Amino acid sequence: MDKQILVVILGMAVVTYIPRALPALFIDKMELGPRVEKFLRLIPYTAMAALIFPGILSTDSSEPVIGLAGGLAAVLLAYRRLPVMVCVIGAIAVDMLIYMII
Amino acid sequence: MKDYIKGMRTGVPVIFGFIPVAIAYAVMARQAGIGAFETVLMSAAVFAGASQMMAVEMLSQGAAAVTIIVAAFILNLRHLIMSTCVINRIKKEKLWIKLLAVFGVTDESFAIFTTQKKENSNAAFFLGLITVTYSSWVGGTVIGVIASGLLPEIVSASLGVALYAMFIAILVPGIRDNMRLIMLVIFTALLNMGLSSFMDSSWALIAATLIGAFAGTFFVDMEKMAEMEETCLEASKDAVSTLEKVKTGDRSNG
Repeated sequence: MDKQILVVILGMAVVTYIPRALPALFIDKMELGPRVEKFLRLIPYTAMAALIFPGILSTDSSEPVIGLAGGLAAVLLAYRRLPVMVCVIGAIAVDMLIYMII
Repeated sequence: MKDYIKGMRTGVPVIFGFIPVAIAYAVMARQAGIGAFETVLMSAAVFAGASQMMAVEMLSQGAAAVTIIVAAFILNLRHLIMSTCVINRIKKEKLWIKLLAVFGVTDESFAIFTTQKKENSNAAFFLGLITVTYSSWVGGTVIGVIASGLLPEIVSASLGVALYAMFIAILVPGIRDNMRLIMLVIFTALLNMGLSSFMDSSWALIAATLIGAFAGTFFVDMEKMAEMEETCLEASKDAVSTLEKVKTGDRSNG
């Protein structure tokens, strides 16, 4: 387990630095086609969509309502363009309330 | 030096955003059985909140190292665009300064820096900004590691939703006024659910992300995408047209 984590950390450090560093090295030579650029710009949206769902249902392994309620709170707060921290704390607070009730 | 301090000051609000998320990450990591040292090391070496939380989640589900690394790579491809915008504003700097600066490119530092006035568009300002964001990320992780043993169970159980809340908080403001982007997000989420019913969930995530983004290139209206990105694109267009002018100027002179 310990060795695996160090491999993961090292690997992640490398693969997260590569996309950051490429523009510094090749800014003049890099020319992305409009299609590729569009694809890259859409990735954060689709990545986050896939990260949220259906994973959010298993926030608590036995109660999908925990993830759904916290997520709904975050959606409502985020829709009002409140800062990330407010959305995170709001979702945590809603889940704490539900844990107190059930 | 003045610009560096100005950049640090501009980064102060980010401290309040990063520390709770860093604490949530650290508590999740400790709960997943990751050591205190490794938890902090990951924050210091990777500096990508969403990827770190995803890695912890995947580790606790027993995913293989390679799938975690591939997923982190794909999730961070967005930094390619962000880093391009940041570099566009500091491209006259020495290479080693640029290579140092890009390590600090995150959703937040990108958003702040690329919306600054021209007078703040320099490497010292950006380095000051990322000094603050990086220290609060690593510092918040240390606080989280210390606090993880002390938090009541009800709080640590509720922290599980923090990761998803953070993604939602980043995602929703960018899509709320763009119906086709909302449709793409829902399509990708459902696709991910469908794929994970017959393949490993970490590969399903990668496949859904790539298929979704590819599908989106056919029907999403890019002109309506976030204002922040438009600012950035305009900045790069300006840079390109200036470059072209310089080049044609060179030619006519030569």
